[in-house]
Amino acid sequence: MSYDRYLRGEPVIVTAALTGGVHGKETNPNVPETPAEIGRAAAEAEAAGAAVVHLHAREDNGERAFSTERFQAVTEAVRERTDDVIIQHSTGGTAAPTDLRHEPLRTDPPPEMASLDMGPLNRQTTLTSENTRATIDSLYDEMAERGIKPELEVFNDGHLNEVYGLLDRRDLGEPVYATLIFGTGTLTRPRPRNLLNAVDNLPEGALFNTLGFGPHQLPLTTMGILLGGHVRVGLEDNVYYRRGELATSNAQLVHRTVELAESLEREVATPAQARAILGL
Amino acid sequence: MTCPFLDYRRESEDRAFETPRAYCTAAETFVQPMRADVCNDRYDLVHDVDCEIYAAHADERDDAADAARSGE
Repeated sequence: MSYDRYLRGEPVIVTAALTGGVHGKETNPNVPETPAEIGRAAAEAEAAGAAVVHLHAREDNGERAFSTERFQAVTEAVRERTDDVIIQHSTGGTAAPTDLRHEPLRTDPPPEMASLDMGPLNRQTTLTSENTRATIDSLYDEMAERGIKPELEVFNDGHLNEVYGLLDRRDLGEPVYATLIFGTGTLTRPRPRNLLNAVDNLPEGALFNTLGFGPHQLPLTTMGILLGGHVRVGLEDNVYYRRGELATSNAQLVHRTVELAESLEREVATPAQARAILGL
Repeated sequence: MTCPFLDYRRESEDRAFETPRAYCTAAETFVQPMRADVCNDRYDLVHDVDCEIYAAHADERDDAADAARSGE
């Protein structure tokens, strides 16, 4: 029962998704894009209470980048400016070839964690991020080889079946860590009942992270804290602080989440505690 | 071939950036990074298939190409 984790007072891990790759400064000028900006944002997020930073890389003009070289620049900028934060690289990439999506795993040192999208999702009018089982297995195998903990990104309930499928095909090790994602389009509809349902359908012993896009970030992460889960906030997922008011930074969103967790009597995990919880 | 409506600009009427960014002259707005991959026909993306903005403005594409060539 995940709620027992809340009752036992287990610390909540706050992940800050700093930049993403879908939108950028054209949407909110405070989205960090360059390695230096991402490094500074990571330091501010860590100081505000984030134990994990979820990273994407970009070109100088803000466009998506997948190369090991660009991820190396970002991860070095983050390591230079942070104390102990856990680095998680994205392997997502709508329309990008699978070979390119392996490159974020090949930095030196490798990230401690990396995201693993658990199935297809639609984008815009004609785009689909396919995430076939072959792609998932291929990315997972390289993560296992490099000692990288996968963060299983569950964009809809069908992807929960894919988590079970991956567990049948591969020995993931405990604990399984899945991010339950809510939003528009192919994502699970962002409704409180659907978060409860998704939590109920996780594999035995799995830990969950809660991700709500846009206006659903605040309510669903609050639920995640109460349900004994972990939470992800940041400008990748939500560019607003409140209705009609752009967020000024990733740290602003992290700070609010930390205040909420503390008000709900849930300790916020340090990076060291997060490593222990996640088995890193 | 990139989209004829694609331009790289530092400024629009209400925005300014240090580095030139992808700008859609059909929608008259800076485009999001993932959409810029469509504008540039990167990976397997093709603007005349994958962009609904291009489709809606396709009959203006020759004018856009002429304007781009003349530097307007």
